[in-house]
Amino acid sequence: MQTNFTPAQLADPATARANAILRSCVHCGFCTATCPTYQLLQDERDGPRGRIYLIKDMLEHERVPDAETVTHVDRCLSCLACMTTCPSGVHYMHLVDHARAYIEARYRRPWRDRMLRGLLARVLPYPTRFRLALLAAKVARPFARLVPDARLRAMIAMAPRAIPPVSRNDDPQVFAAAGARRMRVALMTGCAQRAIDTGINDAAIRLLTRLGAEVVVVDQGCCGALSHHMGRAEEARRLAARNILAFAAEAEGRGLDAVVITTSGCGTAVKDYGHIFAGTPLADRAARVAGLARDVTEVIEALGLPEGAGGLCVAYHAACSLQHGQGIRTLPKDLLHRAGYRVSEPADAHLCCGSAGTYNLLQPEISGQLRARKVATLAATEAEVIAAGNLGCMMQIAQGANVPVVHTVELLDWATGGPRPARLGPG
Amino acid sequence: MLEPGGEAELAAMIADARAPLAICGGGTRGALARGEVLSTARLRGVVLHEPGALTLVVRAGTPLSEVEAVLARAGQRLGFEPWDARAVLGTRGEPTIGGVAAANVAGPRRVQAGAARDAMIGLRFVDGTGMVVANGGRVMKNVTGYDLVRLMAGSRGALGVITEIAFRLQAVPETEATLVLAGLSDREAVARMARALGSPHDVSGAAHAGGETLLRIEGMEASVAYRAEALRKLLGGGEMLGPSESAARWRELRDGAEFAGAEGEVWRVSVRPSAGPEVAAAWPGARVAYDWGGGLVWLNVPAGADVGAVVMRLGGHATRLGDGRVLRSGGEGVAALVRGLKAAFDPRGILNPLAEG
Amino acid sequence: MQMPEPRARVIARKAAIVAALRDILGAEAVIDDPAGTRADECDALTAYRCPPLCVVLPATTEEVAAVMRLCRAEGVPVVPRGAGTSLAGGALPTADGVILSVARMTRIMGVDTADRVIHLETGRTNLSVSAAVEGEGFFYAPDPSSQLACAIAGNIAMNSGGAHCLKYGVTTNNLLGVRMVTMAGEIVTIGGPWLDAGGIDLLGVICGSEGQLGVVTEAWLRILPRPEGARPILLGFGSNAVAGACVADIIEAGLVPVAIEFMDRPCIRACEAFAGAGYPDCEALLIVEVEGSPAEIEAQMARITAIAARHDPVAVRQARDAAEAGRIWLGRKSAFGAMGQINDYLCLDGTIPVSALPEVLARIAEMTAAAGLAVANVFHAGDGNLHPLILYDANAPGELEKAERLGADILRLCVAAGGCLTGEHGVGVEKRDLMGVQFSAADLEAQMRVKDVFDPDWLLNPAKVFPLAASAARRAA
Repeated sequence: MQTNFTPAQLADPATARANAILRSCVHCGFCTATCPTYQLLQDERDGPRGRIYLIKDMLEHERVPDAETVTHVDRCLSCLACMTTCPSGVHYMHLVDHARAYIEARYRRPWRDRMLRGLLARVLPYPTRFRLALLAAKVARPFARLVPDARLRAMIAMAPRAIPPVSRNDDPQVFAAAGARRMRVALMTGCAQRAIDTGINDAAIRLLTRLGAEVVVVDQGCCGALSHHMGRAEEARRLAARNILAFAAEAEGRGLDAVVITTSGCGTAVKDYGHIFAGTPLADRAARVAGLARDVTEVIEALGLPEGAGGLCVAYHAACSLQHGQGIRTLPKDLLHRAGYRVSEPADAHLCCGSAGTYNLLQPEISGQLRARKVATLAATEAEVIAAGNLGCMMQIAQGANVPVVHTVELLDWATGGPRPARLGPG
Repeated sequence: MLEPGGEAELAAMIADARAPLAICGGGTRGALARGEVLSTARLRGVVLHEPGALTLVVRAGTPLSEVEAVLARAGQRLGFEPWDARAVLGTRGEPTIGGVAAANVAGPRRVQAGAARDAMIGLRFVDGTGMVVANGGRVMKNVTGYDLVRLMAGSRGALGVITEIAFRLQAVPETEATLVLAGLSDREAVARMARALGSPHDVSGAAHAGGETLLRIEGMEASVAYRAEALRKLLGGGEMLGPSESAARWRELRDGAEFAGAEGEVWRVSVRPSAGPEVAAAWPGARVAYDWGGGLVWLNVPAGADVGAVVMRLGGHATRLGDGRVLRSGGEGVAALVRGLKAAFDPRGILNPLAEG
Repeated sequence: MQMPEPRARVIARKAAIVAALRDILGAEAVIDDPAGTRADECDALTAYRCPPLCVVLPATTEEVAAVMRLCRAEGVPVVPRGAGTSLAGGALPTADGVILSVARMTRIMGVDTADRVIHLETGRTNLSVSAAVEGEGFFYAPDPSSQLACAIAGNIAMNSGGAHCLKYGVTTNNLLGVRMVTMAGEIVTIGGPWLDAGGIDLLGVICGSEGQLGVVTEAWLRILPRPEGARPILLGFGSNAVAGACVADIIEAGLVPVAIEFMDRPCIRACEAFAGAGYPDCEALLIVEVEGSPAEIEAQMARITAIAARHDPVAVRQARDAAEAGRIWLGRKSAFGAMGQINDYLCLDGTIPVSALPEVLARIAEMTAAAGLAVANVFHAGDGNLHPLILYDANAPGELEKAERLGADILRLCVAAGGCLTGEHGVGVEKRDLMGVQFSAADLEAQMRVKDVFDPDWLLNPAKVFPLAASAARRAA
């Protein structure tokens, strides 16, 4: 559609990129149909088409963001269902990321918002701080109903009841391939994952090495995705830079065939490093790491998964970051099937569960409605276990589901020789 | 009697009329007419028949038989299967295509191919002020402006006099067959017909009359054989009629032949298919026939029977054969809009009165 | 695009009107801030834009009635909006008008497979209707390409068609009844879960009246049993005209495929890039779909292939499985959006007799070349419903006007060939000023009299369908 940027505005690469995205949008409205928040709120501004319009207006006039615009951009889950649907190839992710950074730089949020967002940004990306926060939440749980802010209550509710001990597997080291080495991969251990669910990486390491991969754990931190989605561009780049340097050094040193990621939310961000660092001194290395980034299922497929003895009925929950962000839709289901599980998918599988990074903490009401829908459609499959490829989704769904929620890789590991996932309880 | 030879002459006659006219095609269906007869008989002839585009444009006074003959030569037909009212009403004369359009006629194939309204893609008419109006065209899909084609279909000369109509045609299928089930109660029959019409076998007729339940399949030879057999399996048996027997039987059903010479009143009542038996239940012992899977009830009741009460209770509409009087649910809101349209198109009340209200 | 002068009295009373609307609907269901109203300043025709006075999101028919009563009393124009996917500017606001969205009215009141009908609120999307009855083996036939997103309300307003209308007809052939709110705020029920009207067919004229006669909030739609199977075949040709001739031959042979769709090379490439359907890269492609029992499909395929063979096809390929068929249709139905990868476009919707296809396509190509523009063609060939997409650069001054001029010329060509201005998208504002090409003053007068009956004050979507000059006296009254 038509845009109205001046040549001076277009000289800015970020604005030029936004313009190119806006020009490809034809305003057909297909995206509204698959947008979770539009499904709930039915307000044009709470669908991608309306948000694109709000963003366009804000950027063209270089407006200081108004509270209404911020509300509707904040309500976006960044689930990217719209990108799967869009026939015009509108890169909504880059547009909304740019808008979030624009808002963060120019809009003064109410103090409580600032405090909460600051808290999340200073805690979540750091496993040790996160563990302490989880302990604090545990202590606070009995008093949760006294907490005045719904978002703080959501955070307390979200904290798992049991916090696993630190896994030494997450320390820098090398796990040798069982048998002949067929591939050398680096594992991204994640941040929240290291605090909340150490079983996922353990299972990934077991399965990958069993299939012939040498798995390297380098000294690393948060991928930057959480900050990135809150519009904290600088902070995100700072966090990401650390990982880029670490992985690029490993790739240049002993060589890497892939950077394996077990949390698809991180995977989507890492695969986009090339864009995030375009035009910076880190551009080449960022692009290299982005090019190496793989979801764990992609690497398992490349290594070749043997047939397994799964047996259980599994409902596969497609994480948005996997199905929409990375376009990985059938692979996890195919692998589970090969591992011997009976796989079903819930109705409206394209809809987000409401986790979406920090969304469930910042927008508890919408998030709760989406979770209820997702849990209901999953329950309708009558599966014995739910599998997902993203920790955020797992925690979100586990809050409502009455069957265990595990990571896809844990089930693949179990069916092909690994231990039964702890969450499934004793067999 | 006024018999205009062209559209302009017709327009002038209406503009000059000082008293109500009785607009009339072949006069075979009867109407709530009064005043001097205005006949469309001389507005006659096929304007355009384009077999490759499945379209026919024809003047309103053209006899239906002539239209059907022209189409038959090209292996085509009017898909909505217009029924002939002469048998049941004992009327004489030749039904015209304009009358078919003005009465929105539909036969048994209504369930599959629609009514006259669905096949009409354009028309010309003269309204009650003598204004000549064209609407629609001769293409299959057309949403340019309001759809006055459908407004005129079924208006029975109350809003305007149709002078020319464009139809979408259907190719005559290779063959047909009819599955006959015997001995079903009305309710059982309607339930079977619902199963048949809800199946993928593309049933083009579903009627229950004279103790028989009939389901028609049309199409290519191999396909008809396959679907007829599948239908028989689905419904648990039945006897099969071949093409000529099938065609003859559906012609009788189409024309309501069994109601010929009936005492009292004959109505065609349109309701939810599953409510068809409830219409009949209101007059135990009355002669009834069901078409459209139960959604159309041919009903023979004593003169003065309160058909309206049943229609209002169940929702739907009913037309009395002979004078074309219409009863329908929908209340005062609908009636007010209908009266408004009548006043807008025929402010002086020159044309046929409304058949309803 | 010329629109009527906003009513100064309404603009001046905006605050009071918005407050009164909030009393009816609650604060959150009325949007009047500048950023919010801008989001509804256009539908899928973005060339014309105007932020409305405000946007309202009622949740019930009764709320709609209350809004209509208020607007009538205040003399405020109302523009109904479904999902905002109109390609004709059907939901283009005016500065003094309220956008009344039915997006929040999405309930299903009942599904009755024995009577083959679904009763629902019209904010539901087209595709979700089929989804709701899929489990019982039924579907809702009209399938506009925007069916994923477009609302039944808009389908009824525009009498929407779609690819499969060749066999099943358009919305009006599948609509049994509506519950509608008039501009006076009266709720009327017209038709219901039975066939036809008996008397005057109000439903027939409401369907396709572009939201000018009432706001349809509920509908009874006919649902049909799904065929046993369906299979598309791709037929590639060396030129548009040859493909057009093949279509005419298929229709003439008395075959009734459920759909015959046409795409030319620019469209084929854009759609392939999105859907990965495996379309052959050729000048002109037909997607012909047949359905029924396996025997029926085989028999029809054989005859269609034989007809195509007479036209020297460069590719003939049947879909091997449901997934491939799904991709073939995904690509076709995404064609308009996919063209966004290439350029801005004006989408036309003229319809011509099928027999005129080869000649009209050739003429369009000549006219386009003469105008110095490019056109991509994608359309429902079986019923002659063309969708030439005129490509232009919206950011280049003068290009839109150039594209509009070519568009008008192409539509005049369609009418001259025995066709019409719009086959399924509606007149909206886009073709409003061309109505005189197809209709005489008397033809338009008769249509406007219908609006007089339903909306004597001409407050409902008043600046659409009829040329402003033709409706001026009525709108002023």
